[in-house]
Amino acid sequence: MLNPVLLLLTTLLLSSSLNAQIRITDVHGEHVFEQPPAKVVALNWAMAEQLIELEAPLLAVSDVRGYQEWVVKPKLPEGIHDLGARAEPNLEKMARLQPDLIIVSGITKAQVERLKNIAPVLNFNTFSNTHNNPQVAIDTFRQLALLFNKTVLAEQKLRDMQQRFVELRSALTSAYQGKLPKVATVRFANTASVYMYGDNSMSQYALKQLGINPALAITSSQWGLVQKRVLELSKIQTGSVLYFEPFNEYPQLQASRLWQAMPIVRNNKVAAVAATWTYGGAMSLKYLAEAMAQSLLILAAKNIELGLSEKNFIEAKQ
Amino acid sequence: MILRYSTTIAAIIVFSGVYLLYDTTLSSAVQWQLVTGKTPELFSEFVYLFATLPRLVMALMVGAVLGLVGSLLQQITRNPLLSPLTLGTSAGAWLALILISIAVPSLAPDLKALVVMIGSMLAMGLVLLIAGFRELAGLRVILAGMAVNILLGAITSAIIILRDQYAKNLFIWGAGDLAQNDWQWMIWLAPKLIIALVILVIAPRILQLLRLGQSGAQSLGLATTPVLIALFGAALWLMSATITAVGIISFIGLIAPNIARLLGANHARDQLYYSTVLGALLLLLADFVARIVSNLSVDIIPSGTATAIIGAPMLIYLAMRGSRAEDQMPLSQYGENQRKLTLKKWLGISCFALFLLVMALFLNNDGVSWRWNMPSDFEITTRIPRILIALAAGICMAVAGTVLQRLINNPLASPDLLGVSAGATAAIVISSLLTGQSLFVLNPLIALTGSAVMLAILVLLTRAKQFSGGTVLLLGISLTAMVEALVQFVLAKGSQDVYNLLSWLAGSTYHVQLSQSLYLLAASAVILTLSLISSRGLTLLNLNTEIAAARGLNVTLNTNAVLFLVALSCAFVTALLGPVAFIGLLAPHIARLLGAQKVKSQLLLAALLGAIVLILADWLGRNIIFPSQVAAGTLAAALGGGYFILLLLKAKLNRKTFI
Repeated sequence: MLNPVLLLLTTLLLSSSLNAQIRITDVHGEHVFEQPPAKVVALNWAMAEQLIELEAPLLAVSDVRGYQEWVVKPKLPEGIHDLGARAEPNLEKMARLQPDLIIVSGITKAQVERLKNIAPVLNFNTFSNTHNNPQVAIDTFRQLALLFNKTVLAEQKLRDMQQRFVELRSALTSAYQGKLPKVATVRFANTASVYMYGDNSMSQYALKQLGINPALAITSSQWGLVQKRVLELSKIQTGSVLYFEPFNEYPQLQASRLWQAMPIVRNNKVAAVAATWTYGGAMSLKYLAEAMAQSLLILAAKNIELGLSEKNFIEAKQ
Repeated sequence: MILRYSTTIAAIIVFSGVYLLYDTTLSSAVQWQLVTGKTPELFSEFVYLFATLPRLVMALMVGAVLGLVGSLLQQITRNPLLSPLTLGTSAGAWLALILISIAVPSLAPDLKALVVMIGSMLAMGLVLLIAGFRELAGLRVILAGMAVNILLGAITSAIIILRDQYAKNLFIWGAGDLAQNDWQWMIWLAPKLIIALVILVIAPRILQLLRLGQSGAQSLGLATTPVLIALFGAALWLMSATITAVGIISFIGLIAPNIARLLGANHARDQLYYSTVLGALLLLLADFVARIVSNLSVDIIPSGTATAIIGAPMLIYLAMRGSRAEDQMPLSQYGENQRKLTLKKWLGISCFALFLLVMALFLNNDGVSWRWNMPSDFEITTRIPRILIALAAGICMAVAGTVLQRLINNPLASPDLLGVSAGATAAIVISSLLTGQSLFVLNPLIALTGSAVMLAILVLLTRAKQFSGGTVLLLGISLTAMVEALVQFVLAKGSQDVYNLLSWLAGSTYHVQLSQSLYLLAASAVILTLSLISSRGLTLLNLNTEIAAARGLNVTLNTNAVLFLVALSCAFVTALLGPVAFIGLLAPHIARLLGAQKVKSQLLLAALLGAIVLILADWLGRNIIFPSQVAAGTLAAALGGGYFILLLLKAKLNRKTFI
């Protein structure tokens, strides 16, 4: 439980800083804001997600339909304007909406300069092979909270997330009787190839928070994933594999004898994870952890059931 | 001949053995036991039985079919540069796969395969319909194939850009992948290929007769039309089935018949059989390389990428060896056209261009309706660079196309075919891949380097041997296909910034800055002027190199100078805007159709038309699916492709050759 006095104090401290200037650092350096922006445009799904979590005044995002289909959580509020494809957000429409801040990531300096004609721009670095993606997502979350005067909310959410990690971890630990499996997270491209999430990926970070280590060492990369043959999964002897949905060809993969021969399949160590966005912001780590923990719990239950039925079988035989 | 077959088959057997022994701990003895019925126990035994072995069989089977179909089509059309993929099959399959994956993502794989196969067959059916069954031997079928390819390709890339998340997983299929998990695909594919055996038995005699020409064959009692329909139908069926099973594997169908001819396969039967055997060997080797490299590197190298990387140098070597007379591109001369280019026409077209400029600036969709509006200052700064660069790029590509078509006296020639655009694209994609930098930062200088390198190769090659249009086209085709394979490979890597690459490849004006558009505008003025200056040389070269030399023209110098001009245009456009296809093919065509007979008038009119098409495409692209946008290059390809198909159909109805 938090000390109410302490909470009050921090709130006071923060509100007193309201009148002062807000200093935000992005890839281009420090930007000074007199007050929190009131009409914000996000040209990147991860940024949009962070802003929605912070209850910031979001005005428009790129590719609304794509967000609803792929990012899903958190839900996009009603009435958000659509700026079109992510590669080419519509500048004219953006200008007509008269935002007072544009939040982007990973675009070039020339593009930033052009956007500055519409409104001030904050350009955050999200996914890069030169930094720790999940940590940067959390840092950016805090920066944005500062900008929108939502630090209390942000810290609350981050604490909730940590709390959730602890809960999930203990649930998993008891389900697996103290022996948490090593886990590899993947996304199938087709029945023969697979994208494996490794160091610097959001899913691996989330698993680590649950006390779970990777089943395969995958080198760090910009987006935290590497394309490999499905065969590569045969290197996992004792660990489990979680694959992200949707993967419509799974029945076909299941029917193939190479797949059936893999240790993970023979030991029943494969489970699907409900569609979750793996390139999101800070809070996506929580959603990822929840979705993956749920799959792992189901897997544990299934294995116990199988183990029991095997035991029964053996007993019945005797 | 027997030696040729026996060494090739021996090579297949040896390499198959090596292929099976690579990357496994199983000895050949154990492998043999497994094949003859031993139950697999170790995982490596499963891998052998359900991954390596089916993959090997798949490679041999698909390679053989590609070689067979390639030889069959090249012999029917008597065009050695024809690849089965240029007849629309892959473009149709791609579009069908993308559409069905987006519309019904959860469709069962069997049904999906069926849809893909239908898509591929429809596309090639469309090509044949446009070309007409009587014209299968001519240039028209290739023109129709190109037009359909470009049209469908443009539609596909527009859809992919708008729904990139759905398309991501499909790129590996697009790159052509032979990896197997079981015999499932084999069981699916093998029965569909039985028809290949029928072809091997009956086709040689027909092909031999067809060498006399369609009328000659007819006089010997061959009902050519139904026979050709049957052969094309069979080829179509085989291609569609293999594409559906393993994706797009380029080059095998193109180079296997060429190597077969080079090694002395003269008769129809010999060419057909030997191409089949060679196809199997080539794909086996390419896939072996793909396996080795995939093992050594972090990423998967799809088989299709390997065939392109091995196939392109082979094709260049073939080109260097020089092509015999029968291997020449069927040069369709610029026919005479009665129409005159009147002043009235000039005025009409110019007025339309001006009207278009005004419209592009003032008439726009604001999300509610299309309105004439005074643009705000900001809108002026976003619209002007886009309109200007569309104008300039249209001029550059049209001039490049006209010059090239005149130079090699072939209305099929397009600067995209020269491989110079491809060189620029390759340079940008590779450097972005290596450095991880954004495409929009790397753009200008690297593209220039890429196309300059391509240009240097071209000039060296053409200097080393007597200049021949066919050689240059062969080089261009190989480089373009190699770049396509490279792009598919990059797309298949699965990073999230794929959509940036896609939007750049689509030739979008979105990211263009005012300064860049002004550069290109200046460059286009210079290029147009230079082309006008060189028009006398072009007229002479167009007639005949000997006549030109007799008239005191330095042929080599002139040829190189004009080639340089083409390369420069492509480099500038690719660097500043991205690859823009089809304008270079289409604008000179329409100019001629409107009656521009002389080189000078064709250059000017084509430039005007090129600018019109790109400005129109850019304006439509900015507005039709507001707030999203379709790239100008994509829309120009779609507009151009559609128009071109109409032209071909109209000419067919009027029983006239419009070329």
